[in-house]
Amino acid sequence: MKDPKTISEARGEAATRSTLLNGRPISENDVVITHEDIDRAHDREQVSAVRARRGFRPRFRLFWLLIGPGILVMLGENDGPSMLSYAATGARFGIGFFLPFVVLTFLIACVVQEMTVRLGAATHRGHAELIFDRFGPFWGWFSMIDLMIGNFLTLVTEFIAIRAGLGFFGVRPAVAVSGALLVLSVALMTHRYWTWERIILAAAMFNLVFVPVALMTHPDWGAVGGALVTWRPLPGLTQETVLILLADIGATVTPWMLFFQQSAIADKGLTTRDIHMGRIDTVLGAALATIAALATMLATTPLFLHHMSAANFEAAEFAQALQPFIGHWGSALFALGIFEAGMVAAITISTSSAYAFGEVARRPHSLNLPFRQGRAFYLVLLVEAVAAGGLVLIPGIPLVYIVLLVNVIAVLAMPPALLFLYMLVNDREIMGALVSPRWANVLALGVVIILIGAGLLFGVSVIAPNALSIIGGR
Amino acid sequence: MEKQYDSARGADRTTEVSREEITSVMTALEPDQIVFTKEHHHCPRRRLTWTEKVLFWGLRIYLVFMVGVVVYQIWTGVR
Repeated sequence: MKDPKTISEARGEAATRSTLLNGRPISENDVVITHEDIDRAHDREQVSAVRARRGFRPRFRLFWLLIGPGILVMLGENDGPSMLSYAATGARFGIGFFLPFVVLTFLIACVVQEMTVRLGAATHRGHAELIFDRFGPFWGWFSMIDLMIGNFLTLVTEFIAIRAGLGFFGVRPAVAVSGALLVLSVALMTHRYWTWERIILAAAMFNLVFVPVALMTHPDWGAVGGALVTWRPLPGLTQETVLILLADIGATVTPWMLFFQQSAIADKGLTTRDIHMGRIDTVLGAALATIAALATMLATTPLFLHHMSAANFEAAEFAQALQPFIGHWGSALFALGIFEAGMVAAITISTSSAYAFGEVARRPHSLNLPFRQGRAFYLVLLVEAVAAGGLVLIPGIPLVYIVLLVNVIAVLAMPPALLFLYMLVNDREIMGALVSPRWANVLALGVVIILIGAGLLFGVSVIAPNALSIIGGR
Repeated sequence: MEKQYDSARGADRTTEVSREEITSVMTALEPDQIVFTKEHHHCPRRRLTWTEKVLFWGLRIYLVFMVGVVVYQIWTGVR
């Protein structure tokens, strides 16, 4: 089973404090056991049993049991607006600066998400709950409002992607949105975190459908390698470049990812002994998401090479425009990829909202709960999804502006969210010996500076577009 | 078999739990992973330093200002 010494050493007084109830140790007679506890204990027993064995197969089995939140959050963030951003980047700038830049954004995502792995495993609590407990309701509500607004807008864009992706196959918008809501509800009916996670993981793997699409365009691999090494050709510093820059950052680093991964780790029941595997899970997720992102950029590069303007393209229009280069099947795969990106993200983002609501409202919040016990949790999740899906069906809604807004707002909302994360992960009282090492803090501060810098550059590009040419030296 | 009842959240969460299940939960989960413990133990609130408050407010003002910039961009775009 578990090793109490390791846990106690890792978290110092925090572990001791949690084992006490009214100043005395908790015994079996004190504790009220919930359905959620029993399911989680069942999962942990499997992990402990596998961990006790030696050899390659048990190690692989342990890996299989513990991975999930990292891959889900990274592939979940390769969502509708993200894939649209990558497609627009490839179509507007081709092979060049943005290829390595996207790799850099995923490295940034790794640095940020690793902190949530440690925080979730050390405290067994969600991100929203910790912010409320440690910083009080005033700052807690600020962070919740940021999250809820951002999540709702993002969710709207996921349904835009679902509608657009299925629209390529002639599916009517109402049918596409209703079908997506049905899939989301069916995934929840498992009432089991483990089963839910495996279903969504399988669906998330379809994000890699952009790889065969990219291969169909026969990319110039020499140019790809050159761009990844030299970061050239550089784009000119224009308002459009800044917008794409910001959209690509917002496509990989967003506040909902912090809340989702930490809550999922707590729900899955990961402990301090699992942090190493949690890191592998996160890096693996980032690697898969990077491959899908680069593939999407390469897939739309023919539009750049043939000077086709894609400035106002929506997701399905990219698929149609690519048809002369990759054929009908290639276009169909591209449209399917857009649908999948929206579907998986709709599920993970609405779950992130429900977790945060449950943590703040002190309501039961776990995917292990039967509907009757987790009514508020499931209702928040479903109501948010239905409202976002419904909004997409209203005629005349400026969907393109909502998509534009989402990635930009995500980048702008990130620095305040990162400050909470930075302070929590350096809080010795809750993290004990697991506080961030100095190098991790330097990297985290570097990320905050990059994000604020990108935000300010965006502000300059909007308020004083001419100043960009001065900054760019032209 | 002796039964205990889960009533942490009132009647709607009442479920029969066996002694074996209780033992399984107590051995497999860390103490602060159990829902009951989490509900009874919240992390104590920390006192923010002056510098931290300035940082929080600074980033809050930054966010509000930048959202204004986004709204301005959309407004000019629509025009």
